[in-house]
Amino acid sequence: MKKLFLVSLLLVLSVVTFAASRVTITMTAGAVGKELEVLYSQLDVFMKQNPNIKVSVMPMPNSSTERHDLYVTYLASGEKEPTVLMLDVIWPAEFAPYLEDLSADKDFFELNKFLPGTVKAATVGGKIVAIPWFTDAGMLYYRKDLLEKYGFKNPPRTWDELVTMAKTITAKEKNIQGFVWQGARYEGLVCDFMEYLISFGGDVLDDDGNVIVNSPAAVKALQFMVDMIYTHKISPQAVTTYMEEEARRAFQNGQAVFMRNWPYAWALLNDPKESKVAGKVGVAPLPAGPSGKSAATLGGWMLGINKNASSEEKEAAKKLVKFLTSYDQQLYKAVNAGQNPTMMDVYKDPSLKKAAPFMVELYGMFINAAPRPRTAKYSEISDVIQKHVHAALTKQTTPQKAIEEMAKELNKVLGK
Amino acid sequence: MKVKTKETVVAWWMVLPALLVISIIAFFPLFKTFYDSFYESSLRPDIEKKFVGFQNYIELFKDDRFIAALKTTIIFTIVSVALETAFGLLIAIVVNQPFKFRGVVRVAMLIPWAIPTAISSQMWKWMFNDQGGIMTKLLESLHLIEPGVPILGLPNTALWAIIAVDVWKTTPFMALLILAGLQLVPEELYEAARIDGAGVMQRFTKITIPMLSSTIAVALIFRTLDALRVFDVVFIMTRGSVGTETLAVYNRVLLMDRAFTGPWFGYGSALSVIIFLLISIFAIIYIKSLKLKLD
Repeated sequence: MKKLFLVSLLLVLSVVTFAASRVTITMTAGAVGKELEVLYSQLDVFMKQNPNIKVSVMPMPNSSTERHDLYVTYLASGEKEPTVLMLDVIWPAEFAPYLEDLSADKDFFELNKFLPGTVKAATVGGKIVAIPWFTDAGMLYYRKDLLEKYGFKNPPRTWDELVTMAKTITAKEKNIQGFVWQGARYEGLVCDFMEYLISFGGDVLDDDGNVIVNSPAAVKALQFMVDMIYTHKISPQAVTTYMEEEARRAFQNGQAVFMRNWPYAWALLNDPKESKVAGKVGVAPLPAGPSGKSAATLGGWMLGINKNASSEEKEAAKKLVKFLTSYDQQLYKAVNAGQNPTMMDVYKDPSLKKAAPFMVELYGMFINAAPRPRTAKYSEISDVIQKHVHAALTKQTTPQKAIEEMAKELNKVLGK
Repeated sequence: MKVKTKETVVAWWMVLPALLVISIIAFFPLFKTFYDSFYESSLRPDIEKKFVGFQNYIELFKDDRFIAALKTTIIFTIVSVALETAFGLLIAIVVNQPFKFRGVVRVAMLIPWAIPTAISSQMWKWMFNDQGGIMTKLLESLHLIEPGVPILGLPNTALWAIIAVDVWKTTPFMALLILAGLQLVPEELYEAARIDGAGVMQRFTKITIPMLSSTIAVALIFRTLDALRVFDVVFIMTRGSVGTETLAVYNRVLLMDRAFTGPWFGYGSALSVIIFLLISIFAIIYIKSLKLKLD
């Protein structure tokens, strides 16, 4: 009897000590394309290397808006979960009060090796609150075969060239639209609008945070977007209801010559099982406007750590973030999930060039991608931009009036 | 006498748990929302909470977006509930008649209502899609719309498309409630009326409608309350663009998108209170005009 007691005591003790040295942390993750599958295999490697850390994944909705709503609920309640948060490039300023300050761990994460634009996006008031995980930039997809057929040797370098090419091709080909993009009223519309705005020589805010959107360049940029639908008729009227996936489906079914989208579409468009245009797709930077500049909106996601987690969990979380943003793992993610690395050296890796050649070819574009306004009030600013741009695109107002009203409301939001 | 007091005490004890639960899950949040609506506040920790009295309400009525959402919500409610009641009544009367396969029809009728709104809204969104959406194709072939017109992308069609989906989805609910009411009307009344020489229309207006009034009142209250706080179908189909934003959709913007950006929490709470008051007004109108006895 005594022996049995001793054995069971030992058993209990060993379980207790084992449990004490084992930390469980949670992380949120997206499931666009192969993203989640790739993450699970990465986590298997991580947990083998760190047997005392257990990571459980909370899959999140694919829409950025819905993820934002969930985070608001988690963070406002002071929950310590999720420990690691996947953050959209526009969120750090807004969520900063709830995120662990990682400035002291700059060298641990080797931030000097990251694309400077992505690090800047993760910096709020001089503090680093997240580590860039993968980056995104708007780019132009085009039908190589159709451009060749009609004698266009290069993809369009200016918006005017794009209009000409689209008109020429759609006039002769049947059942095809010229150019599809994201025109629904949601965050993606801001990304698209910023690209026209900057390539026409305008911007929303200057470096000091003053509203400078009310300019002739901005009116021309918005007028051009409207004209593509109603005057040049190269974009379907329904583009005002399109998000990324609607545009991709149209392009993938061979119903469009040009498409503006993010890098994720590349792998899907070239999958012969799903896509009617596999092997016929080319990519290029978005065309330049009258200013001679071409602009791609900076997108992408980073990893932040919940401030409410215990110090033990935070340590484990840092290890996980370091692992996921390391050279090898970024390369693995880029090759298998098609998500762009944030570490500069990864772009020089020959295996990346083989799997996703455009990432390497368009490196210059990714490094220069233009950020959206960086402020804690970003959601409000985005809401105002969406409302007025969409009103102009659906002809409820003129571009001139839309820009004027936008400027007025932005000033109000920013208290100027 | 003594026994009765004892019973009352026991009764109170038995009701207490239910009362507690209701206070926690219904009265407390309601009270908290009223309380918050008098403050300027944010969920962001570095923004101070400030008492502002009725300021949030005054601002709301100066807010064009709120006025537009209020209008949309009321149009949505009146049109969709009216159509649902009319169709519901019609369907209920039909399936109340004995015919072959009545059971099958009654079950089939319930399908739209059994599908979760989030799923049916997404389904309809695809059917209204401009590329190969079946509704778009149908309306095009009937020459009701021109080819290439995005139904959900235009101010004069989007709201009607949303109303159509809501009517499709909730008519079965109305029909079911009214059918239950119809089955309570005693057959003798119709028989007596027939002997007295009342025609079909007379029997309908003098017997069916009066006998159904309390059932319809309850059904109307349910549907109107739902319609006034409609969110899912609008959010999924248009996200509130092109003039389809309802009060609840605007409230999400205030409480979620702007939770950490500025002092919008009190403002959002004030909007919640207005939705609550609006619902109460409608409920009182129904109860009074249909002389419904609640106790």
